[in-house]
Amino acid sequence: MAKTTLFLILALLAAPALAQAPKAELRCKSTGTDFVFDCTIRLTQGGKPLEGAKVTVGADMPSMPMAHNLKPVKAVPAQVPGEYKAKLDLEMLGVWAVKLRLAGPVRDQLILHYEFDSNGATPVRK
Amino acid sequence: MDDYAIGVLTNVGLISFLALSAYLLLIAGEMSFGQQAFFGVGAYAGGMLTAMYGWPLPLAALCAMALGALAQFLVGLPTLRLRGLYFAMATLAAAEMARILFELFHFQRPVEGEAVGPDGSQGFRGIRWVFENGIEPIAYLGIVYCLLALALVLFLLVERSRLGATLRSVGEDPELAAALGVDVDRIKLGVAAAAGALAALGGVLYAHHNTYIEPRNFDIMLGVHSLAYALIGGLGTALGPLLGVVLDIGALEGTRVFHGYRMIVFGGLVALLLIWRPRGLLDERAVQWLRRRFS
Repeated sequence: MAKTTLFLILALLAAPALAQAPKAELRCKSTGTDFVFDCTIRLTQGGKPLEGAKVTVGADMPSMPMAHNLKPVKAVPAQVPGEYKAKLDLEMLGVWAVKLRLAGPVRDQLILHYEFDSNGATPVRK
Repeated sequence: MDDYAIGVLTNVGLISFLALSAYLLLIAGEMSFGQQAFFGVGAYAGGMLTAMYGWPLPLAALCAMALGALAQFLVGLPTLRLRGLYFAMATLAAAEMARILFELFHFQRPVEGEAVGPDGSQGFRGIRWVFENGIEPIAYLGIVYCLLALALVLFLLVERSRLGATLRSVGEDPELAAALGVDVDRIKLGVAAAAGALAALGGVLYAHHNTYIEPRNFDIMLGVHSLAYALIGGLGTALGPLLGVVLDIGALEGTRVFHGYRMIVFGGLVALLLIWRPRGLLDERAVQWLRRRFS
């Protein structure tokens, strides 16, 4: 009886079936202004380009989450399907956890770790 | 309310749990530089239970709080014998040990064809319970503030009770409190467990807000800030640390005009404030004055 009750409570509270999680890649190049980068975000879901998403880009310094961060900016769709463009005005170079908040056809949040240097950004995590 | 405002307010709420946790130990007379470790314990435990085993968030949060309480109780057993700076150093060492353990912690299992779980220094991705359950950012903000309000009400009730007076007496003069028959060790261990549970609750909510955690999220900077909130806001009431968080995050957001120099400007403002008000804005005298004024 206790097991059945526990199962029912868990079933009522349990999450719905998982949708396939979207994936993202980031390419950034320096604009020539200190710490400002033009970035292109490529979004896919199930191997196909993810179009029509509303993408907001933020970034956190991993060692000071919630405090040392980038004010979020909205990304705009590029000409290539599944690609979006955003200008990131970071406060300093180094490793940033770039936070992509997706709305529209899919609602999710993706975190990408990139090291920003004077040329652009390179991924530092798998 | 736009996404930015919701994000900032959510961060204020999440950090407030950590600030209250540090404040609870401060009023019991102990300065901990290690509350970020229990924030991390909560984040990892809660994230693992929802992302790897499909537990609902409320149940995962309760388990994470119990684990946070147990962890700080166990750390408190040997360290609460120490006093002042020695206790502060011991908590810092314990927190660094916890962070290194997170770096070494690899435990993943396949979920929907993908490996999910802590992966050492690579972090822990895919804590997506909030998104999978369609909880909007504004609703999550509401959840965070409801829980914070509940914690605050408990604090204010305790502060007005006999237990609150006992806590302050232990914090101000433990020898005198012991002479009056207070079991100081037992009170301090209870406070440590409660502080651990509170920090862990903040950690669970943070992990589910961020969807990703990594060991570096729980390093010394977070611990220093959590203490600073209480010291800036004041030690006279539980509203003090919350005021500290609002001022801290407000100052950080308000000094964006200084770009890369804003952390330096922010640090200078904190130093000036502490010179002017060493026990914070809402210190005991200010609270007494406010009570007389409004009673």
